[in-house]
Amino acid sequence: MISAGKKSTMELLREEVESLLRIDRLPHVWCPGCGIGITLNAFLRALIRAKIDPNKTVVVSGIGCTGRAAGYVNMDSFHTTHGRAIPFAVGIKFARPELNVVVFSGDGDLFAIGGNHFVNAARRNHDILVIAVNNFTYGMTGGQHGPTTPTGAYTTTTPYGNPDRPFNIPHLAISLGAPYVARWTTYHLMQLQNSIYTALHRKGFRVIEVISQCPTVYGRRNEMKSPLEMMEYFRKFSVRKDDATFDEMELTYNGRIVVGVFRDVQGIPTYEERYNDIIRRAQK
Amino acid sequence: MPQKNAPPKKRGTVKIMEERCKGCWYCVNYCPTKVLVVSPRLNSKGYHPPELKEEPPDKVCIACHLCELFCPDFALVVEELK
Ligand SMILES: Cc1ncc(C[n+]2csc(CCOP(=O)(O)OP(=O)(O)O)c2C)c(N)n1
Ligand code: SF4
Ligand code: SF4
Ligand code: SF4
Ligand SMILES: [Mg+2]
Repeated sequence: MISAGKKSTMELLREEVESLLRIDRLPHVWCPGCGIGITLNAFLRALIRAKIDPNKTVVVSGIGCTGRAAGYVNMDSFHTTHGRAIPFAVGIKFARPELNVVVFSGDGDLFAIGGNHFVNAARRNHDILVIAVNNFTYGMTGGQHGPTTPTGAYTTTTPYGNPDRPFNIPHLAISLGAPYVARWTTYHLMQLQNSIYTALHRKGFRVIEVISQCPTVYGRRNEMKSPLEMMEYFRKFSVRKDDATFDEMELTYNGRIVVGVFRDVQGIPTYEERYNDIIRRAQK
Repeated sequence: MPQKNAPPKKRGTVKIMEERCKGCWYCVNYCPTKVLVVSPRLNSKGYHPPELKEEPPDKVCIACHLCELFCPDFALVVEELK
């Protein structure tokens, strides 16, 4: 039966995932079936597969359930103030350009209080990877609506349905010139992992939106009471379309979720490269 | 007539860290051979972890590692049988 044979790639990967987690802190705080853990798992596997030195990687999170990820990785990480993950990350990259800087944060953190930072960092093409976990709500504070809540969705602050229109995150990122823009759901286990793997090899402001389930405070108010119902929504309603139009990327209430790699271009100078160029010219 | 498929060649077993499990049932639901079932046991947080219930030769763990990727709680480790 079981013999101590050579370990397979997948077995080794699982071992390394364990070593990149602060296992003394597990079980983590996330609720049953919360998609943040799935996303963190995909990120760690992509990082290992990309053979990126964890000692040269920094994970930066803001505040929120997603923000807690910074506390579970066995790497240098920053759990910053609310909305400020991107400015922290930009500063780290500026001071230590040899580091791989990854922002792992929530939709409220990145697009509500932190929206201005997202917009301007994307415009300047800072060399950081942003993994944006979009669960359509402020999970940590009890499920208020935010700028990513679909129109019509029920939340604690929109008891008769959300009148607002949500951000179309890929559209926003592409319009600002971000060189790598993708969207997946937590059901897309391998696509998400492969996309993070690719993005880790790219330069510039890379954005991966992960549609994730918050069964506890979002799902139960929106016809998806259990983690499985939310996962089934992602499975049944996702369509891959890399050449989707901006209109097709719009998210609607419990509607179709268009996923894919919407933009992947190389060679656009990063802010850090342009800055170094200026320093060189000034010193001539 | 279609031939009866041979039993799966690749086989595995799943190490379940029961104390990390929060009973979301992704693993139970998405295992392609349906060999993970809800255990009647409770862990110390009050969740029912999964357990492996194979019915050889056909209904076995094929070491696809899918449950390991789905588990939001890092509770599963798939070991390949060699
Ligand atoms: C300056 C400031 N304002 C408000 C809060 C309260 N607060 C904590 S988490 C959060 C929202 C988090 O939402 P999101 O980033 O989507 O994370 P999730 O919990 O959904 O993963 C808010 C508003 C805070 N901590 N600090
Ligand atoms: S409240 Fe929602 S986002 Fe926060 S841990 Fe629970 S399920 Fe996840
Ligand atoms: S490795 Fe695959 S076949 Fe085995 S228990 Fe997990 S999901 Fe099922
Ligand atoms: S996926 Fe993980 S947390 Fe969910 S029931 Fe299975 S072992 Fe438990
Ligand atoms: Mg959120």
